[in-house]
Amino acid sequence: MSDNHTEEQHIGIPGYLIVFGILVIGTVATYLVALTDLDSKLFPGANTMVALLIAFTKMTCVMLFFMHVYWSKKLIWLSAIASFFWLAIMFAFTMQDYFTRSLGQFTY
Amino acid sequence: MATHAETLDHEHHHPPGLQHQFDDMGQQEESVSIGMWMFLVQEIMFFGGLFTVYLVFRSRFPMAFAAGSNHLDVVMGFVNTLVLIVSSLTMALTVYFAQKGNRNMQVILIILTMLFGATFLGVKVVEYTDKFNHGLVPVTGLNRIVRAPAGAEHAETPAKPCWEVSHGEEHEYINPRGEFLWHDCSLAKKAEDGKYLTAAERVGYYNQGTHEIDPDKFRDKVRIYFWIYFAMTGLHALHMIIGLVLMTWLGIKAWKNTFSADYYMPVEMSGLYWHFVDIVWIFLFPLLYLLGRHFIAHGG
Repeated sequence: MSDNHTEEQHIGIPGYLIVFGILVIGTVATYLVALTDLDSKLFPGANTMVALLIAFTKMTCVMLFFMHVYWSKKLIWLSAIASFFWLAIMFAFTMQDYFTRSLGQFTY
Repeated sequence: MATHAETLDHEHHHPPGLQHQFDDMGQQEESVSIGMWMFLVQEIMFFGGLFTVYLVFRSRFPMAFAAGSNHLDVVMGFVNTLVLIVSSLTMALTVYFAQKGNRNMQVILIILTMLFGATFLGVKVVEYTDKFNHGLVPVTGLNRIVRAPAGAEHAETPAKPCWEVSHGEEHEYINPRGEFLWHDCSLAKKAEDGKYLTAAERVGYYNQGTHEIDPDKFRDKVRIYFWIYFAMTGLHALHMIIGLVLMTWLGIKAWKNTFSADYYMPVEMSGLYWHFVDIVWIFLFPLLYLLGRHFIAHGG
């Protein structure tokens, strides 16, 4: 039965430690960036954009290597990516409503 | 891949952990992981609903959200993020040693994972207690109740308007009905002065027809932030508690030396759940704790 496991389906202990290091660096970076006022230096919302970008990078590392998606079947890749697609639909359809409402109706 | 004949041939000594409805371990592993991933997809949609609520209200009242966020303890949030990342590492290593069939390392790492998970929850308890003590739980009656001292009625009129209250200023805590309390609307004033207060916020914060911030209206918007904070971190903490129960079960199985290179899927699947909960926190930390830090970072 071990024929399914002949090729290594993980990155080994050094690899896990590297991913862990990336996650720690990402956490420190999120904190430091949050103290810098990018909103006025770059564009409004830049702080949030950078924070989300770092969060997405950390998430991708966790999913690919800790959750072994990298070695998984295409069906697993599909479910992982599709979940974010559904999430994007929920966000987009909700916000196209709120952004196009006239002011004062919702805000009481 | 085992043929049908081979499967029948080996029926009298099939591998440990193979359920009878599956032909072989490969088929079982595939079914198990797709089932787990379907569960995780619906979990993403479950939390996604709360993230949508966050998106809607934060885009409406960014300054109230920033004000509420700045009141959280960023050090505790930061420490908890690190604690969860370490627990994710120990969980990933648990799977690694399960695949190697190393019982002792599995048990040690599962206990470590549980310790880090419990540490996370402990810090969360400290934070929630702090909210309770400062009147920041958005449910009337669920905050610490302190009656005004006798003869202090005159002191109840606030000394200054809410926009002159500086961040982190201490207030005498008087809360006879355990209400949600908020004193500081300086961020809204700052946004107004900086000409980046949105039209929606003006409607939301100002007294009707004036250009004066109504402390009560601003407080209600901060209260929305704290509702979202408690709903999201509360649901996340519930997932952590379920994770700890799962780890207990897993630890007992590992102790009994159940897992090997041929059968380790329970460890792998519990790991997926644990990492998912970690990922949710990776987003909650910047979105709840850090969103308004740059407004006050330089003494502003």
